Amino acid sequence: MSTLEQRAVDAADFADERLGVAKFARSSFNKIFPDHWSFMLGEIAMYSFVILIFTGVFLTLFYVPSSHMITYHGSYAPLRGQKMSEAYASTLNISFNVRAGLVMRQIHHWAADVFIAAIVVHLLRIFFTGAYRKPRELNWIIGSSLLILAIVNGFIGYSLPDDLISGTGIRIAFSIILSIPVIGSYLAFFVFGSNFPGTSIIPRFFIIHVLILPAIIAALIGAHLAIMWHQKHTQYPGRGRTNRNVVGIPFWPAYALQAGGFFFITSAVIAALGGFVQINPIWLYGPYIPYKVSYAVQPDWYMGWLDGALRLMPSWEAVFGPTYGGHMIPNVFFPAVLLPGITFGLLFSWPWIEKRFTKDDREHNICDRPREHPVRTSVGVGILMFYIVLFLASATDVLANTFQTSLNLVLWTLRIMLFVLPLVAGLVTYLLLREMAAIPSIGDPKIPVEIRRDFDGSFTLAELSIHGEEEEILELPEEVAYRSLVGGHGHSAPSMDTNGDQSSVETSEAGDDHGVFEVPRD
Amino acid sequence: MNDHKRRKSKKRSQLSWAVGSVASGAAVLALATIALYPHQGHAEVLASAKVATHAKVAAKPAAHGASSQQPIVYKNPPRSLIPQGRQLFAEDCQTCHGPDAEGSVRAPNLQGLGAATVDFWVATGRMPLADPTEEAEIKPPRLSHEQQLAVSAYVASLAPGGPAIPSPNLGLANLSKGESLFAENCAACHTITGAGDALANNIYAPSLWAATPTEVAEAIRTGPGDMPRFGPGTFSNQEVDDIVRYVAYIQHPDDRGGLALGGVGPVAEGFVAILIGLGSLMVAGYWIGGRAQ
Repeated sequence: MSTLEQRAVDAADFADERLGVAKFARSSFNKIFPDHWSFMLGEIAMYSFVILIFTGVFLTLFYVPSSHMITYHGSYAPLRGQKMSEAYASTLNISFNVRAGLVMRQIHHWAADVFIAAIVVHLLRIFFTGAYRKPRELNWIIGSSLLILAIVNGFIGYSLPDDLISGTGIRIAFSIILSIPVIGSYLAFFVFGSNFPGTSIIPRFFIIHVLILPAIIAALIGAHLAIMWHQKHTQYPGRGRTNRNVVGIPFWPAYALQAGGFFFITSAVIAALGGFVQINPIWLYGPYIPYKVSYAVQPDWYMGWLDGALRLMPSWEAVFGPTYGGHMIPNVFFPAVLLPGITFGLLFSWPWIEKRFTKDDREHNICDRPREHPVRTSVGVGILMFYIVLFLASATDVLANTFQTSLNLVLWTLRIMLFVLPLVAGLVTYLLLREMAAIPSIGDPKIPVEIRRDFDGSFTLAELSIHGEEEEILELPEEVAYRSLVGGHGHSAPSMDTNGDQSSVETSEAGDDHGVFEVPRD
Repeated sequence: MNDHKRRKSKKRSQLSWAVGSVASGAAVLALATIALYPHQGHAEVLASAKVATHAKVAAKPAAHGASSQQPIVYKNPPRSLIPQGRQLFAEDCQTCHGPDAEGSVRAPNLQGLGAATVDFWVATGRMPLADPTEEAEIKPPRLSHEQQLAVSAYVASLAPGGPAIPSPNLGLANLSKGESLFAENCAACHTITGAGDALANNIYAPSLWAATPTEVAEAIRTGPGDMPRFGPGTFSNQEVDDIVRYVAYIQHPDDRGGLALGGVGPVAEGFVAILIGLGSLMVAGYWIGGRAQ
């Protein structure tokens, strides 16, 4: 045993003798994770969040959260001498003068865009495989809450530079709060501390963006993972997989290496975007002054569906009571308050809505194949299409300009598509899945065949055995892995194989086998 | 036997991609930082150098007014071009605008609009039209520079009024004032980056990225098409000059930060984040993760 290994063993013993960590470490290191690429989508979100924290901490060192107006004397000539908020001036300073400031800003912004995109794709995977069913409804709620918090924090972060475009976004947010019936004006003044724009919103947004929401998000991610850890991950149906067991790779070393490597890949992709693709060049937008506005203002992509809904909404208003003295609900309320309310209400209650129809209260640890549940899958595709059309509607002007057609034509096309496309997409999905269900061997693994031509010229067809390619499912020997943790090299490994085939394990060292293991779920 | 070998090689490959991805992650981060590094700290120098070059390039069209210290010199083309202009007008314009530019049911009266109006429409290729029913769009001009001046001279000679052709002196302009005026008066249609965009009912604000200083000044002073006219009561010549200077700047702005995505903002950024960012990560996940059993 080398000195380094001896030291590691000593350190592990030190911790174990005082804190009793070995038992916990043993069960954790032996934790079995089902291995499938679609289970890694949530990891992308988590790693993006880690990158957001690191780059965000860097940015707070230079950002000044203040609406105080100063005269700019910095290095960006086209704005020199102009009045602007300290927030905007400090963002210019980060972009032009702070070493690596711009690349950090860009990595932070790209990471935010990827973070929320990964959450959405992760949510879609959970939805279409039915992984939210009992016992995982709580994690569905936590995950949906994380999506809302991520969107809100993304919007607030996008607002902090206080440039012409994001300032317009805050202006829209103020109007949306105002549109809430009865309490709207009180709530808007409470949030902004005065009428728009006031001087409180930037400092308030800052503390929400860097402290309050990240803390809640981190806590919820912790709870999300702890529940997943406790309940054990779902798995896809397959040979040897049942509702009562978990088949997969052990946390240490196989899964930890895979996850750790994926963190670096995520960092690499996001850093590459930050370094090579410009995002949000705020210096070209100028400072936010309430009476100035740029046409074609879009929010970041995750707010696109709300912006699209605002654009598509006709100018209808609801008036209660007499014309004078009655109460009016402005049209902003319907797309910007009611729609998100319904959206997230549906999202949160989906597991119970489905339960009401299926009357299914059993535990499900095996994921569904989307094709096996045509109703759920087609409803999901229809709802998804609704939001995709809303998302496209946030770019009505870009579409009209790109295709050199009338903005009004684009607007009306999307208004019609908003109701037609979800129905069509849902129906087509449903019919396709019904067709697929009628094919007897659908989803079976394809067995390779060999076509032989004999000497007499006749052809024969033979199925090749795929046994050689099949994985073996092993039972996890806890004691062996434990010994390897505390430096158990050299111990002879007991049989790892369910069928007593010693040949495959004779020479493998204890604890670092990379096979696929099975453990009972409880 | 085989099993064992397979497992060994699987372990090796797992380790190698872990190491490989760490290395590539670090390399990309380093490259990204280096790619942006040279700018840092030298921003001031770069910005002023860039401004100087642009001013030189953009000031060229103002050559014949260069001796003057006026921000904009308005000058009608030489009267000697009028006969040539009359000839060209008869060939290309009078079918719709009438022999004396008095207008017809197909096209407006041009008398008294001044040389700047005519020069703007023919220099940007919007006029003459091949067919009176087609839309007047920006295209390569059909008339040569001298012919443009000749037609302008002819129409200006028919009746007094309207601005002459402006020559902005960008050396006298204030870039920052230009940004402020542009944000307040122009960005609401042309967008703050000057990319242009579709407005309501088939109306669009064209991109400003190919407009010459003279064309920008002409457009401000004459209000072509759906654009409002900003006369001397709204903007002084100095202010027009400032705006023209800023438009010249956004044609070649300080575009640090990597590949600019067409200046259309978050729509393009969203597509890159989802398709390239998340897309490549999903491919990577598919690469290292398990598949269906």
